[in-house]
Order: sequence, then C-alpha cells, then structure tokens
Amino acid sequence: MPNHWLTPLVALLLAASPAAAQAPLRWGADAEGGAPLVEADPRDPSRMVGFDVEIAELIARALGRSPQFVQVAFTSLDQSALRGDFDIGLGGIEDSPARRQTLGVSVPYFEFREVLTVRESDRSRYHSLASLRGTRVATLGGTLAYDLLRRAEQTEGLTAVSYDDDVHPYDDLALGRVDAVLLDHILAERAVGRTKGLVIQPEELAVGHYVVVTAPGQAALLAAVNRVLLAAMADGRLEQIFRRWKVWNDDQTALHERVRAQGMSAVGGSLLATAAATPVRGREALVRFTPQLLRAAVVTLVLSCAAMGLAVLLGVLIATGRVYGGRLMRGALLVYVEVVRGTPVLLQLFLMYYGFAGVVRLPAFVAALLGLALNYAAYESEIYRSALQAIPQGQLDAARMLGFSRWQTLRLIRGPQALRLALAPMTNDFVALLKDSSLVSVLTVVELTKQTQIMATNIGSWLVPGLACGTLYLLMSLPLSHLARRLETRWKLEGA
Amino acid sequence: MTPVVSLAGVQLNRGGRPILRNVHLTAEAGEVVALMGLSGSGKTTLLRLLARLEVPDAGEVVAPPAGLVFQFHFLFEHLSALDNVCLALVHVHRRPRAEAEARARRLLEELGVGHRADALPRHLSGGEAQRVAIARALAVDPPVLLLDEPTASLDPARRADLAGALRRLAQSGRTLILTSHDDDFVRAVATRLLVLADGVVVESGDPGTVLTAPVHEATRRLLRQERVE
Repeated sequence: MPNHWLTPLVALLLAASPAAAQAPLRWGADAEGGAPLVEADPRDPSRMVGFDVEIAELIARALGRSPQFVQVAFTSLDQSALRGDFDIGLGGIEDSPARRQTLGVSVPYFEFREVLTVRESDRSRYHSLASLRGTRVATLGGTLAYDLLRRAEQTEGLTAVSYDDDVHPYDDLALGRVDAVLLDHILAERAVGRTKGLVIQPEELAVGHYVVVTAPGQAALLAAVNRVLLAAMADGRLEQIFRRWKVWNDDQTALHERVRAQGMSAVGGSLLATAAATPVRGREALVRFTPQLLRAAVVTLVLSCAAMGLAVLLGVLIATGRVYGGRLMRGALLVYVEVVRGTPVLLQLFLMYYGFAGVVRLPAFVAALLGLALNYAAYESEIYRSALQAIPQGQLDAARMLGFSRWQTLRLIRGPQALRLALAPMTNDFVALLKDSSLVSVLTVVELTKQTQIMATNIGSWLVPGLACGTLYLLMSLPLSHLARRLETRWKLEGA
Repeated sequence: MTPVVSLAGVQLNRGGRPILRNVHLTAEAGEVVALMGLSGSGKTTLLRLLARLEVPDAGEVVAPPAGLVFQFHFLFEHLSALDNVCLALVHVHRRPRAEAEARARRLLEELGVGHRADALPRHLSGGEAQRVAIARALAVDPPVLLLDEPTASLDPARRADLAGALRRLAQSGRTLILTSHDDDFVRAVATRLLVLADGVVVESGDPGTVLTAPVHEATRRLLRQERVE
C-alpha cells in the first residue's frame, strides 16, 4: 500500500469535490506482471494502467467515490478480501465455485480461454495436455489453469509448476526450464509479443471469466457493482475499455448479451464443469493435505540439510582463507562476506535463478540449494573465523615448538577446538536456515511453506494449514535447538 | 665442553623500544640456568628467543630445537593429558601410536601425574597441568628444555618436588633454562643465575653467591620484593 500515508492528505485536498464526499473505494489487485489487466505504467511507475484499472475507476466514479489502489499478491487476493483489506478486488480474478462460497462475486465481465504456449520449435510436438506427458508445464498458482494442470498430473502424467506471477512462467519457457505454459489467452498473447520464439497453440482447453470480488456480507456493495457493470455493458463503456486494450472479441459480445439476459446464471453451467471440485474444510482438508505437507516437509529438510552441508564446507574454506590467506585473498573473501551479508537472500535467490539464467541455466532446486548455501556460507565463515581466532596464541606457539606444521596445527589442534566453539552457533544457524528455506518458493520449489500456501488457497483459510505447517517446522527445529543447548554446555572451553 | 646454547650480542626491539640489549649467554649440557628479574625485564622474551618464537634484531642465537613449558601451560584443551603428550610423537615424529603412548605414560608417571593421564586439561589442577606440560615438552626428547615461571602455579611442597625432577633432567644431560621469581627455588635447582634489568644482564654467577651478596641494585630490589611477597 504505497500511498497509504497519502490518504488523509488526498481526502483533505478533495474534500470539496463530490467524489470525495464518501471514503475512497479501495480496490485490490496485483500489479506484478499484470498487464494488460493491471500494471505499473512503464512511463510513470507510480501510476497503474490496464483495463481492470479503468474498470475499477469506472465503478468508483459511478459510486461517487475516488478509487484507491491496494497492492495485494495475486495468490493472496481471496484472503485479503476476507480480511477487508480492500472494498473490491479485481485484476484477473476468476469465477469459481470456491470463490462463490467464500466471497461476494460479481457478474462476469470478461471471458478468457485457457491456452497452451510453447516454444516455436515444439509447435508440432506439444499441442495438447495429452501430448505433454512427462514434461513440466508452468502456470500461475491459485488459478483455474493450475487446477487443470493438477488434474492433468493424474490423467496425463505431466508435472505442474506453480509460479507466483504470470511473467516468469514465460521467461522460464523461453529458457527451457519448462516445456509449456497454460494460462489465460490475454496473458499468453502479451507474453508472445514480449518474448521471441514462443507460439500459442490454437486448441482451447477451458473457458473462464473474470469477476469482481467483495468481502462476504457486502450485499449492497456487490449489488451496486453489478448495476455498474451491467450498465457499462449496455451502453458500450466496457467495450470501449476492452477495445482500447485490444482484447475485445466476439466472445465478449456474446458474454455481455448472456449476462444482461441471465445475470450470474449466464456462466454457471460451463464454469462448474471445468473448475475444481468444491473446496474441503477442517479435518477433511487436513487428512487430504497431510501427505502433501509431509512430502513438502521432506523437501524442506533435504534442501536445508544439503544447503547447510555445503555452507559449512564453504564457510570453513572462507574462514581458513581469511585467517591464513594472503592479503589479496583476505580482501576478496571479506568483500564476498560483506556483500552476501549486506544484501537480502531473496534478491540473491532471484539473481541466481533469473538474473544469471543467460549465463548458466540452473534447475530450480539446484539454484535454491546454491543460493541458500552461498548465503549461509558467509555467516558460517564468520563463526569459524572468530572460533579460530579464539584459540589462544600460546597453544599455537606450543604446537610450533613441538614441530607441527601450520597445516597440522590447523587440522589437529586449532580446527578441532574451533569446531567445538562453533557447533552451538552453527546449530542455531541451521534452525534459521530451515525457516529461510521457505524463501525458495519464489523459484517454484514447492517446499513446506509453499505447499501450505497452496493448501490455504485451496481451502480458503490459513488457520488449519498454518497451524499444521508451524507444527511441522517446530518438529524439525526443536530437536536442533535442544542439541545446540546441549553442545554449548558440553563443549564450553574454559578461558577460551 | 662446547656450549649447547649460545647468545652473542643479542638485541631485540618491539615497537621501537629495546626489550633486550647486548645479551650474552652460553649454557652447556647438564647446566640449569635461571633468569631472574622484575616483570618486564625481558626474561620471557629471552626464553622465546631461545625457543625461536622471536627473531633478534641484532646478534647471534645458536640453539638446538628446544622444548618450551609456558607459564600458563597452554595444553591442547580438547585432548586428554596423555594425548597432549603423545600428539607430536605420533604426528611429527611418526612413532607408532602404542610406542608413543607407552612413552607418554612413563613420562607422566615419572612426573607424578600418571593417574591423571585420561583427564582433560580443564580438569587438572595448576600443578598437574604444569607437569603435563613438562611431559609434553619432554616427549620428543629435546636437548634443551625452557621453562617460563615453572613454580608460579605450585605450592611450596610441589616446588621441592619440581626442583628434584628438574635436577634429574639436568643430570641426564639436558640443558635447562628457566625464569623464576622464587629465590629459594633458584638456589635449589640452578647451577647459574643471570639477573636482568631493563633488557640488560646486570649480574651473573653462582646462584648462592649472587643471591647472598648481590652486587647490583636491581638484584637487591628484586630480593626485597621477593621477601615482601
């Protein structure tokens, strides 16, 4: 909510105008890669542009309120609506039975087709879900397309890869990390225009509709939104908006006619046939999702252990270089440690996966593993460095007098004692890494937190998934914390 | 007899300040040389120089590889007393483990700490740690043994024991050089005494003679301070 602090100021300035007589109409959407629906204006990133922006403005104006944009991550839109973070949500929000159960859902205002996008060279190979057996197919999480892919995992034997936005799936398609993207045709067309070498397959896999959502129990607001939408369909204002953004076609003409004649029921039948089954709740949800959560917990554990192992190895090397190395090596390692510690791990992960994709194309899990390991190596190296320096010079002199080489002194005397000093802080770091590993979900790795998010989106509540997820993290981290405390008391060196 | 250890015209500065000035010292096999002087007089630096842990700015140092026993022992904290003694035998001198352990046990027995062989340094008393440190230095059989304030962590009864042990080591042909504040101990163990003041050897000779009839003011001041303590 970048403009939140401006709200009182804006309200004050506009106090005289009739539009500001009421509170502003807060509308929620995700501006990340949301073109042509909602995106930051490339010429002035503080402004939002897109057809959903214009629809939001149209609704606000008609209600005599000023529009106020609220940034919400796409996969969190439903939860945000429930919390009341905004009055109306739009921006590619799909009609679905789950939404109709939990939120206020308007009449549909746009009809989209789910289409497959592939690399040009695969045009004749991958043309349907059935032809994609054994491949990885990307989409945006929490969408009709994702539900379709999850079902195709069972029926067609492909792997669904979920992203948090609708731009990176196409980037990864061009890079060869996935073999197809299933998404709404307007997103596909936008991507094909942006990225060379991609083509859209003609076959249409499903039809869906964009709607406006409100918090449940906002019947009056919802009715008002519906009135505005229907009026805009009747007088052609919606058509003008869609034409301006070059997304108008015959499907919309037909949809608008049907909606004006039949209202909500205009799309009910086709929608229920393609969308996922009615969401499950409570105990049943827990039973259904527990195996998936456990699998994701294993991913978290394996990733954390492997990353920590690598970080420890690199950390020991960095620390040794910083204590024993020449001036140049010490300087270079210091720069590495400070750069890594001084920048967010999330940024490092993005750079590792997307930033360097032109140079080296790492699979998601490898990029996640390397990103975490390289980050934690910097922290581990500081622990070892201070542990090495905590060994009294007198012991090193004693070793020298006894004829030990520098390497023998490190291996037999200094290293083993430093390791004992480092064990407790290292274990603490491992617990931190276990939790930081949730960040790799941005690289499409489905670990415990990501799986929890998927479960929460699916059942429309964070409570049960959140508690289950927290319990699993605690089951992994508590024994480690306990171990750290025991090691600390056991290995504490006196006078060191 | 040719001297085992010899220093000639040794000068050592630290941060532009002279720590040792024109120091001459020779010692033969079987000799026990004691270095006395107030704190900061340069005794420990002289030992470190003989141990080759320091390099002189001028002068000549001739000394074979020596064993050094530090005032604060600096035992390897992660190893038992026994392992402290055999580590260098195994890894530097490549003796078989069993042989190294047998020698280490014998040395610990001789120094009266055989029963503490398996204890970690942090569980040893000051006197026990002192003797384990001596055993560690002796394990590789150095011709010269350097001891920095060996009596500092010992009660009077233990000092007499240590004096006996050091005399036996000298009788076996080793050269011992040690620093001390304790004139009774020096009388009991040393064959020669050097008194240092501000990095200069101000007096030297037979310990009994020097301590009974000190010539230099620094030695008298040193002895007065000893009495007070």
